[in-house]
Amino acid sequence: MKRKLVSALLIACMAVGLVACGNDKKDDAANNATSSDTSVLSINLASEPDYLDPALNSSVDGGCLAVNSFVGLYTYDKNGDLVPALADGEPEVSEDECTYTFKVKDSKWSNGEALTANDFVYSWNRAAADETAADYSYMFDIIVHNDDGTLAVEAPDDNTIVVTLTNPCPYFLDLVAFPTYLPVYQKDVEAANPNGDTPGAWAQEAGFVCNGAYTLKEWSHEESMVYVKNDNFYDADNVKIEELHFMLSADDTAIYAAYQDGSLDFADTVPNDEIKNVQDSDEFHIMDQLGTYYVGFNVNSKIFEGKTVEQAAKMRQAISMLIDRNYIVENIGQTGQVPADSFVPAGMADGNGGIYKTADVSYYDAEATGADMVEDAVKLLEEAGYTMEDKGDGTYSISPALSIEYLVNDGTGHTDIAEAIQQDLALVGIELTIQTEEWNVFLDDRKNGNYDFCREGWVADYNDPINMLDLFESSSGNNDMQFGVNPESWAPQWDEYDQLIQTIRTSTDMEARLEACHKAEDMLMDTWAVIPIYFYNDIYLQKPNVDGIYSTVFGMKYFMYATKN
Amino acid sequence: MGEYILKRIALAVVSVAAISAITFFAMNLIPGGPFNKEKAASPAVQRVLEERYNLDKPVPQQYVIYMNNLLHGDWGVSLKTGRDIWTDISTKFKVSARLGGLAAIFAIIFGLILGSIAALTRNRWPDRLIVFLTTLGTAMPSFVLATLLLLVFCMKLGWVPVWSSQNQSILLPVIALMVYPMAYITRLTKTSMLDALGQDYVRTARAKGVSGVHVIFRHALRNALIPVVTYVGPMVAYILTGSMVVESIFTIGGLGSAFVTSITSRDYTMIMATTMFLAILMVVANLLTDIAYKIIDPRITFD
Repeated sequence: MKRKLVSALLIACMAVGLVACGNDKKDDAANNATSSDTSVLSINLASEPDYLDPALNSSVDGGCLAVNSFVGLYTYDKNGDLVPALADGEPEVSEDECTYTFKVKDSKWSNGEALTANDFVYSWNRAAADETAADYSYMFDIIVHNDDGTLAVEAPDDNTIVVTLTNPCPYFLDLVAFPTYLPVYQKDVEAANPNGDTPGAWAQEAGFVCNGAYTLKEWSHEESMVYVKNDNFYDADNVKIEELHFMLSADDTAIYAAYQDGSLDFADTVPNDEIKNVQDSDEFHIMDQLGTYYVGFNVNSKIFEGKTVEQAAKMRQAISMLIDRNYIVENIGQTGQVPADSFVPAGMADGNGGIYKTADVSYYDAEATGADMVEDAVKLLEEAGYTMEDKGDGTYSISPALSIEYLVNDGTGHTDIAEAIQQDLALVGIELTIQTEEWNVFLDDRKNGNYDFCREGWVADYNDPINMLDLFESSSGNNDMQFGVNPESWAPQWDEYDQLIQTIRTSTDMEARLEACHKAEDMLMDTWAVIPIYFYNDIYLQKPNVDGIYSTVFGMKYFMYATKN
Repeated sequence: MGEYILKRIALAVVSVAAISAITFFAMNLIPGGPFNKEKAASPAVQRVLEERYNLDKPVPQQYVIYMNNLLHGDWGVSLKTGRDIWTDISTKFKVSARLGGLAAIFAIIFGLILGSIAALTRNRWPDRLIVFLTTLGTAMPSFVLATLLLLVFCMKLGWVPVWSSQNQSILLPVIALMVYPMAYITRLTKTSMLDALGQDYVRTARAKGVSGVHVIFRHALRNALIPVVTYVGPMVAYILTGSMVVESIFTIGGLGSAFVTSITSRDYTMIMATTMFLAILMVVANLLTDIAYKIIDPRITFD
């Protein structure tokens, strides 16, 4: 009797388990669950951003919230093109291309007060000021700074803004559409910051004044946000969805489950393991993004000790040739990323009216990298002073032994790529050990050059090659490769690169500027310290009854013109 | 007893002070910092931030400033979000307390009932069933159970939405958190109840003709409670640590997830505040446990 009872219980438990894990037809039905309320759009972007203040925000998800609740002079339309928003038509640009005069439309804050050109003057000066300590304050470096530290931005009347730039800037309108350039409501900002040490305090709870398509009505921290339509938005007539509900979570499983059961209409992340299951569905969207996933060497690393600058570069080139980029994008990336053969991503504007990356901007054949290039790699390593011995099975041994530590932050995709590289390098006997670190420690070690070889990635903030190339200026905070930083005898000379970046920044001749960009990238790629793997793209899930959401190449998502049936 | 409690409170203050010092220096030793970002801010911005939050000063001096502010009731602001720590923690604590409190109460109630039933029906089918289920309950970590509940009740049956911006249900997270302590309490109650039922005083009471119910509640259960009460302290700890994962799975903005994210983002003020808050909570829970002993069992003295 007892035995029967126990067996019955065990069977019952197994049955529950099977039902839970099974992938039957019922499951498919559940996948198509959609919410019936067509006036509400439920969205997950990420967990709660640090700041909703558009000036202080530095995350892409926070930027998405900013562009949906604030609007500036320019914005992006559904084709990803820059279009005037509060600017009344195109700005008038002076002959030297250094002075922009914007006409500003009449518009209102969400509380009904009029928004004037002075609001922009205040907001831009505030975002650029040191005491605000905005991560993106350098976005205003292109504007002339007056002697008293303020920006050369003036409002001769309520509907005119005159901006003076230090030099012609082909991407200035991109900046004007960037979240850091959005206007904020002076009265509230100042009231919440009486001592000057709490600059973001005005937007830390729901109910703050804004001027975009939606205002934040409710906010349960780390749980949800409810944005409602702002009737004072300048283009409110075209906003169809009444409410945006944001799920504030970074838990992939929970997000995916919420999307599957219909709690969400839009999910910005898909767990890596699920990509295969959803990639053929029409709910799965892939958007181009301007960014490059790459791996990089610390040019001062001791693994190059005793080599000449050229030999060190050859070692790195050999490693670059061995990394099978196709394998990585097909088996790990899985979302149709393009293997990279240059550092500046495909599709980026060139600042001179064209596209930067043309067919001849290719530093190697990315499709051919991997096992097919073992012989080339062996030759390069021999030139770098190593003795290579063919083992007869397509692999080689290397002498003296070469062991490299690869630094990576924890995260499945990154570790998978590390393991793929490990196998690629094993073909020529190079031993790659993988050192996994927690994000914050990883950032520290990478920045301080406490590594040999590491994972890297960069997504552009604006559409110009300088945004990719100035990372490696020797004084840059993002110069993880340590170019020009206390260079060892085997590290490349970097003064010329620094000069090229200066030329690009200050050039008034766009033709010469473009040439300098290409020259800088050539110089960068010649070191082989930066090894591009693939160009990023952006994936998201969106229910079939939703339409009109669009995303820019910088990852900003615009929900205000969405519709839902 | 009054003297004992005073002594314990004094000891508690010392413990919390020691914890604060250890945490403060330890967190400053871990590599990384609150303003580390993939896209680095300019050195000028970093300097302003470090000055604003006194991070440019030597660590011992920072500790003195921090403790001085704390004694004046100022918990500071989060380095990550700039939000007032006290407001933040009290909001999050309310959420966690509701979740953890319900889980603890249900765990105790159901644990006592099931444990008593198991003891009274020893070796019969209710006992077997309860033993089976409690074994399952103690073997399953809360995050596995949480995921399973999500899968069955949200995805398969569709009874509760995975997430909702209004009226997020806390039924499933409470279940996920309470199962392990409930199972544990059931087993504790059963063992100690069986022990108590075999004692001479129970036999005497029965021999004197005291009613069955009276014997169970007055004599057996009351004595069986002592080990259960001992478990309340560790249970609070379990629920707090378990809530970190459960809160994340069910998108609940409680203290558990704040604790974890504060560490990964090196939000120093938040790390200090959550650690000290949880430390105080633990110390208080342990103190209350000891006082509860005395009430349940007058034989226990505090000397």
